[in-house]
Amino acid sequence: MSAAATTPLIETRSLVKKFGSFTALNGVSLRVYSGEVHALLGDNGAGKSTLIKILSGVFPPTSGEITVEGKVVSFASPRNATDAGIGTVYQDLALNPLTSVTRNFFLGRELTRFKSPFGLLKMNEMHEIAMQEMKKIGITISDPEQAVGTMSGGQRQTLAIARAIYFGAKVLILDEPTSALGQKQQMEVLKTIRRVQQLGNIAIILITHNEIHARLIADRFTFLSLGEVIGEGTAKDLEGDDIKRLMAGGAKIGDLAKELAV
Amino acid sequence: MKNSATTRQESDRLETKSWLNAVLARPEIGPIGVMLLLFGMLGYFSIPAGEFSLNPFAGEGFNALGIRNNLRVISQLGIIALGAGLLIIAGEFDLSIGSMIGFAGACMAMILRWGFAIVIPYLSFDGGMHIEFFTLVHITDVSALTAIGITMCFTLFFGWLQGYIVVKSGLPSFIVTLGGLFFLRGLTEVSLRAFNHRPDQTKGATTVTEIPDIKNIIEVPGYGEMEREAAKALPEADLTAIANSLPADTIAAITERLEYTYNRVAEAKTDILIAKGVKPMERALENALASGNDYMANIIQDKIANFKIEPVVAKTVTDTDIARVYLDSITTARPVANFFGGDILEPVFDWLYFPVDWNTNNFGNQFAPGLYSCVMIWVLLSILCYIVLSKTQAGNWIYSTGGNLNAAKANGVPTNKVKISLFIFSAFCATIFAACQVFEVNTADAAKGNLKELEAIAAAVIGGIVMTGGFGTIMGIIVGAFIFGIAKEAFFYIPGIDGSFYRVFLGLVIVASALLNENIRKRIMGTL
Ligand SMILES: Nc1ncnc2c1ncn2[C@@H]1O[C@H](COP(=O)(O)OP(=O)(O)O)[C@@H](O)[C@H]1O
Ligand SMILES: [Mg+2]
Repeated sequence: MSAAATTPLIETRSLVKKFGSFTALNGVSLRVYSGEVHALLGDNGAGKSTLIKILSGVFPPTSGEITVEGKVVSFASPRNATDAGIGTVYQDLALNPLTSVTRNFFLGRELTRFKSPFGLLKMNEMHEIAMQEMKKIGITISDPEQAVGTMSGGQRQTLAIARAIYFGAKVLILDEPTSALGQKQQMEVLKTIRRVQQLGNIAIILITHNEIHARLIADRFTFLSLGEVIGEGTAKDLEGDDIKRLMAGGAKIGDLAKELAV
Repeated sequence: MKNSATTRQESDRLETKSWLNAVLARPEIGPIGVMLLLFGMLGYFSIPAGEFSLNPFAGEGFNALGIRNNLRVISQLGIIALGAGLLIIAGEFDLSIGSMIGFAGACMAMILRWGFAIVIPYLSFDGGMHIEFFTLVHITDVSALTAIGITMCFTLFFGWLQGYIVVKSGLPSFIVTLGGLFFLRGLTEVSLRAFNHRPDQTKGATTVTEIPDIKNIIEVPGYGEMEREAAKALPEADLTAIANSLPADTIAAITERLEYTYNRVAEAKTDILIAKGVKPMERALENALASGNDYMANIIQDKIANFKIEPVVAKTVTDTDIARVYLDSITTARPVANFFGGDILEPVFDWLYFPVDWNTNNFGNQFAPGLYSCVMIWVLLSILCYIVLSKTQAGNWIYSTGGNLNAAKANGVPTNKVKISLFIFSAFCATIFAACQVFEVNTADAAKGNLKELEAIAAAVIGGIVMTGGFGTIMGIIVGAFIFGIAKEAFFYIPGIDGSFYRVFLGLVIVASALLNENIRKRIMGTL
């Protein structure tokens, strides 16, 4: 494994997260390298969302540490995580459907003529950047004034991803980006992820339920079950059946059949 | 498989809008239509009975006085609709606007009338236990600017407090500002009764009167500062002295204008006398024709044709007249009070009277002196709000705070600050409204501003503001204020119907607008 020789872009070491007496994560270690798509797989309640919430600064871990490019970091807020280069694209995408592509692209970080909330927007420049950045990862929009609400689900994902990258994300966390979409749009999103992968300098953590998607696009896999890592490896390391088994929380098909029998 | 299928992109599926479609999709287009309809109604229905004209501007609704009065109603509503509308775009309501107007007006008036003091109450045991007051600061003869400034401290603080409670507690702003509505109205009544010093406070007046006409305080050369009306009522000898002290060209200009006025008045009087004299004869002629008495009819026709009356002789211009016109022309010594309560565009309206002769009433006198100053304040505030909402970072924050609060927060928009600022701005607009009223009429009344919060919200809704937030424009709010402000006038002139129908009409327009807005919102959200 050549990738192991380089430092991971982001790494977690023995992360533990307790909600009161409930242990949501029990010593999770994860290594994510740049230019790779790292699929985070696991059953409902396995702790995937908890893990990415820690990574994106929503809450701190109970114990364990996170390193970004080898340096230990701790996040007091999502803003800290963003500043450290961790861009999270949540399921609701954090978009305002009622305003334009450009206004969403720059939401909260608008370009203004002088630094003040009352500084005039540099609209033309913002239009250009938004169009250009979305084009880079595969979507040409005809009108940057188009309301986001009128865009397709795939286009919205692309907008949210392009935005995260433009504002300095080195690690992109995608929480079930395809789950709410139709077949065709799922492929659009996968294409977008592939283009980001090809940029080569960005690490992607992809949370998904869809084994096919994971196998299509991921370079590396981590399987979570009941708050622990039950398997990991590169795409080459894992056979098809392994993935199925690990996704089901480590059980063999035969065991499951037994469990079903009354 | 055809090749074109592969080059087709997702973005191609969105129809490119034609120019017409783009115009029709503008949220303001419906309201603008209603506004033009009302303008038409106001114009045509206000054309005096018996006259015919295709020009709606020939009607009374659009004569100089009609424009002056209508624009006053519209712009006062427009000022508070800006505050209410921006807040709704950010996803919150302010029901305290009306009470805030009453409170701010009373506060300003009380300070102008009785001064401003900060007192510390304490218990005193000398001669039985009672409360006494230790006066920390007491200023009297407060200037307009200071009165407005002190009032702003109270109202903006209250706006901040309401906003703070809303964002910190997560309570609906509807409830919090409903509390504000009762609290402020009550506080206003209580304070006014207390300050009016009636022994029986339950019967004390809830008004403030006898405030000097501050905006009309002028510096009369040789007499010092005095109210314009008092100056014009000086003894004849003084007025003559003032007139004689004027430079020759000023006197010449004033004389020319006065001669024009006197001739114009005489002309109008003559016309009225002729009309009065001829009218009975015309009625007799009608009767004669009806009864077939051609002989009589001929005689009467002759009489009408030869009817003459001695033309009314124009007054001659005297020194006192010149002095009074001169006193009228002196600019105010209190620009702040005049800024809020005075008139604007006076030279234009003067010119429209002499030499244009459009701003002339039936008696030959000048009709409207100018527009109310609140029109200018409305225009300035509207431009400011337009720039902030459409052209600045703050505008994008306002839209996103109302459009998707969580998204705005996730992207680092200080949504709480945005909301609190807009509650403060709403209070600011209400205070400006109050200042315009107080300095215009020089009185205050605890009942002022009643129901204005609902009118402001209605104007915003009519103008295309979506009640759930995130959507709307300043242009829309302006149009909404026009519609709300002009509907009453437009219905007033329709012959043979009850004037209150305008409320029926507005009720329908409000609901229709809300439906239309919701439809536009859904179309943008992609759920329609
Ligand atoms: N804030 C919380 N408080 C208490 N328990 C939580 C909280 N968040 C998640 N959990 C629990 O932690 C476990 C892991 O949840 P989650 O990370 O959302 O799983 P996944 O995203 O893999 O489906 C679940 O059993 C869930 O109920
Ligand atoms: Mg989850």
